[in-house]
Amino acid sequence: MTATLTTPRRRGVLAKRSVLPWLFLAPGLLLALVFKFLPMGKGIWLSFFDVRPFLGDKWVGLDNYTRVLTDHRFQDAIGHTLLLGLGQSLGAILVGFLLALLLEGQARSLKIMRTAVFLPVVTATAVVGEMWRLLYYPTSDGLINHGLSFLGLGPAQFLDNPDTALWATMVMAVWMLAPYNMVIILAGLAGVDRTLYEAAAMDGVSLWQRLRYVTLPAIRPALGIVLTLAAIRGLRVFTEVYVLTGGGPAGSTEVWMTRAYTLGFTRNDIGGASAASVVLLCVTLLLTVTVNYFRKRGDVR
Amino acid sequence: MGDRRRSRRLAATLTVAGLVFGTAACGSGSDSADSGGPNTLEVWTRSNPDAAATYDRVFAAFTKKTGIKIDYQPVVNFDQQLQSRASTKDLPDVMINDTALMGSYQSQGLLKPITPDTIAGHDQITDKTWSSTVGIDGKHYGIPYSRQAMTLMIRKDWLKKLGLDAPTTWQEMLRVAKAFATEDPDGDGKADTYGMVVPGSAQNGYAAWWGASYLWQGGARIIEPDGNGRYRPAMDSAAAVRTVTWLKDNLFCGAKNVVQPGALTAITANATNFQDGNAGMYLTGPYNITTFDATPGKDTYEVVAAPAGPAGSDVLADGENVYFGAKTGKAKQEQALAAFLISPEGQRIAMTSVDGHQPVVRIPVNSALDAAKVRDDSRWSVVQKAYEDTSQQFPNAPDFAPIKQDTADSLNAIFTYCGSDVASGLKELNDTLAGDLKDQDLLK
Amino acid sequence: MSAPAIDPVRTSVPGSPAGKPSLKQRATPARFDTALGWSDRPGVGWALRILLCAIALGIFAAPFLTIVSGAFTTHASGSSLSFLPHDSTLQNFKVAGERGIWDYFTNSLVIAGGALLLQLAVSVLAAYALARHRFRGQALVLTLFMLTMMLPEEVIAIPLSLVLGHVPVVGLDLKGTAWGVILPLGAWGFSVMLLTEFMKDIPTEIEEAARLDGVGEFRMLWQVVLPLCKPALGVAGVLGFVMIWDQYLLPLIASKDPTDYTVTVALSILRTDPEVGSGVVLAGAVIALIPSLIVYLLLQRSLVTGIAAGATKG
Repeated sequence: MTATLTTPRRRGVLAKRSVLPWLFLAPGLLLALVFKFLPMGKGIWLSFFDVRPFLGDKWVGLDNYTRVLTDHRFQDAIGHTLLLGLGQSLGAILVGFLLALLLEGQARSLKIMRTAVFLPVVTATAVVGEMWRLLYYPTSDGLINHGLSFLGLGPAQFLDNPDTALWATMVMAVWMLAPYNMVIILAGLAGVDRTLYEAAAMDGVSLWQRLRYVTLPAIRPALGIVLTLAAIRGLRVFTEVYVLTGGGPAGSTEVWMTRAYTLGFTRNDIGGASAASVVLLCVTLLLTVTVNYFRKRGDVR
Repeated sequence: MGDRRRSRRLAATLTVAGLVFGTAACGSGSDSADSGGPNTLEVWTRSNPDAAATYDRVFAAFTKKTGIKIDYQPVVNFDQQLQSRASTKDLPDVMINDTALMGSYQSQGLLKPITPDTIAGHDQITDKTWSSTVGIDGKHYGIPYSRQAMTLMIRKDWLKKLGLDAPTTWQEMLRVAKAFATEDPDGDGKADTYGMVVPGSAQNGYAAWWGASYLWQGGARIIEPDGNGRYRPAMDSAAAVRTVTWLKDNLFCGAKNVVQPGALTAITANATNFQDGNAGMYLTGPYNITTFDATPGKDTYEVVAAPAGPAGSDVLADGENVYFGAKTGKAKQEQALAAFLISPEGQRIAMTSVDGHQPVVRIPVNSALDAAKVRDDSRWSVVQKAYEDTSQQFPNAPDFAPIKQDTADSLNAIFTYCGSDVASGLKELNDTLAGDLKDQDLLK
Repeated sequence: MSAPAIDPVRTSVPGSPAGKPSLKQRATPARFDTALGWSDRPGVGWALRILLCAIALGIFAAPFLTIVSGAFTTHASGSSLSFLPHDSTLQNFKVAGERGIWDYFTNSLVIAGGALLLQLAVSVLAAYALARHRFRGQALVLTLFMLTMMLPEEVIAIPLSLVLGHVPVVGLDLKGTAWGVILPLGAWGFSVMLLTEFMKDIPTEIEEAARLDGVGEFRMLWQVVLPLCKPALGVAGVLGFVMIWDQYLLPLIASKDPTDYTVTVALSILRTDPEVGSGVVLAGAVIALIPSLIVYLLLQRSLVTGIAAGATKG
């Protein structure tokens, strides 16, 4: 980029331009440092202590980590976390993509549709949980069971049955996240050059080929973001479970973060909760770096 | 067009920005500015605005009498807020909160020990009640303020319609529950009624909170003191196995609709079937009386003692204590406030309802008062009798939070898996409880 | 679905080669506006689209009728829930008002307005540096911003509470002020990442041309780059607002006492209040979702005006 500039001012411009990015980054980095990384460092520090603010913290070394990693309920939660995290992320990406394809366009009716479909995202999570508890109401009065009864299916115990509770939670999570992804993908679709579609039409390519070779490459940044986002928050899944089942019944929907939350806020074990979160943070970091690595490789190709 | 749009947007932005900075500037510094004053106490209670109105009256009377000002904060999410304040070592001077949290607070060093003799009128609280605030080291860490015990709320119109009497034993309770579930007590021709309400989720330990009364009635204990300040887990006893098996077989895995649907993931906030008028029984605390008088209605239900199990009719007792935050300097004012709160005058104000606001003292700790007489409501004598004669608290000395949580996890799992083996499930729980006690150096 | 047949009317548009943004007035038929080539005239595809829209509406929006109908019903409850209120009443809104929902609402508005402005400004600046400049440590900075999203809030809550009580170096106490919530929300990795990705995608030619004309960095950002990433700004604005509005733990720990709470915190309190029915909670929910919807309506225009439209303004 700079090679094209051959003006005499080049040297000065270069010096200015190496400081400039940091100037632009300064507000963000400063805020992140004070309000994110400082607390994070402190949190990591606390994970090595038995935390008692008024009695003085007690150094326990790696005790909190061994306690968390050997606790069978944390071990049980790993499977649920992976299944729920993966299922809801992929489900939400797929549904979000389909929604975006369906609702792309400038017409007024489409705008109204998009607003309506976006409702799950803007509703307070606590209320979404409450609402789905009502939708899943386990008698024929419940809305979903009412619908099922028309198909001749008996009332299902969605949340009280340990075999279905996790899947029921996943459906709610997809419902909450898909419109979120839709919005990002829509922004990607908006950036696709219309003339490419015309060119494709003139070449007589099929709809599938058009999607595969024109649309998909063009919305790669959007999909990359959605994927990275999924990697980041997939394993952190918490609120969805917390508001819907609280980890029950019989721990069948317990995930890593609900367990950590119980440790921290119900059992006042801040040290243990910090250790559990540090473990999660490391795994998430690893996962995100991996996803980004493959994204970059995809970009180069 | 574009320009007009842009300028409109700019105007909107400026408005929002002005609003932000204006209000942010006003907001800062105006909060609780006087709480640092030497003659002002910062007091927290875990109350919604409705109950807070009653506390306001109590504190107004106190300030009028003593001249000590109160900076009163009703805090609903008490524990999160307290943890946050504890981290900055800036605790409120006085807190009024659940009895069951004393051990937890004390183990974190959040509380100041209390000498009962320094509180005027301490002799009007019975020894039994005082004994419920003794911590693990033998010192008192709280001043009893309000007490309550679980009673059974039951739809009397349903009983009448089906020609039944209020149950006095587990067997009768089960029979009534089945009748409520199957014989259409509300007469709408639909099978949409349930026997009893159970908040059976493991979240926040609800299953243990609800199940405790039944454990007591079945002769079981969660942990038992050994008399030397230590405890041993007791959930593998024959009584515990028998009790939990009965609950599982009859309430959760027996006839349909004996308990409300969704019971295993229900916490009290979403177990509203009694209010909604589709469940007939609810073993719960008397704080619900105000709510239930509105819906399903005062004349539709009655308050009776809990049905007796094989080992009696003991129920879970709890309530609120007054705690002093671990902060120095205002001991005299704090003691004066506590003395007023437990005095007949202070308790009476807190027990009465003005403008329909909820009273904050249920059963008075001051033995000179009688709940039913103060309120002129005979239902409260049922609650008072249950508290005085047939109730047990969770052990107050240990940090009970982990024990309650583990018990709830285990009960919830046993009730969920109908095919599971109760004895081995409880054996496993017992080992977990032993671990919890060991963490606190309390295992015998 | 079959491949779209070639439209006999206005088949070709003279002008720009593929890959470059068209600077001409758009004169393409509707079916080139969307990836799937939806037609805007009655036909099989048109009918199919309406059917699919109806299904999507049923799944994603219909459950809200239950919220709204519950909010206007005296005794809303699980088994009596329906799509239409049985006995219309404003009682629930009155009770919610008595519980101070409007005060919390005002707190929320102040916080959300301030935090969104700050967040967008911070993100745009950072993204411009990350996407349009090359410098040492670029990857590290991006990773750091992404790291801000990976921290489980539940865990940094307690340490963050310490920081808010005494901000290092300056020593301010932000607790009980709107800044205590606004400042920690300023750096949001998602928004930085999103804007960075979209800015990277803007062709460099336009910028280079402007730079040769001697346009300064800030004007470049404001007048050349920003208009080109309007869709991304729309997304960052909408999702940023939603994220800020939905904050629960942060307002809680940044507050000194309950008068500082936001509407989301108030909602979760209402939810556990045994004295108010679920109708009141739903009324609160309806009140709480209105601002996000308005923000979405305002910003969604930018979501679908593509690069081609934006370039004409630059």
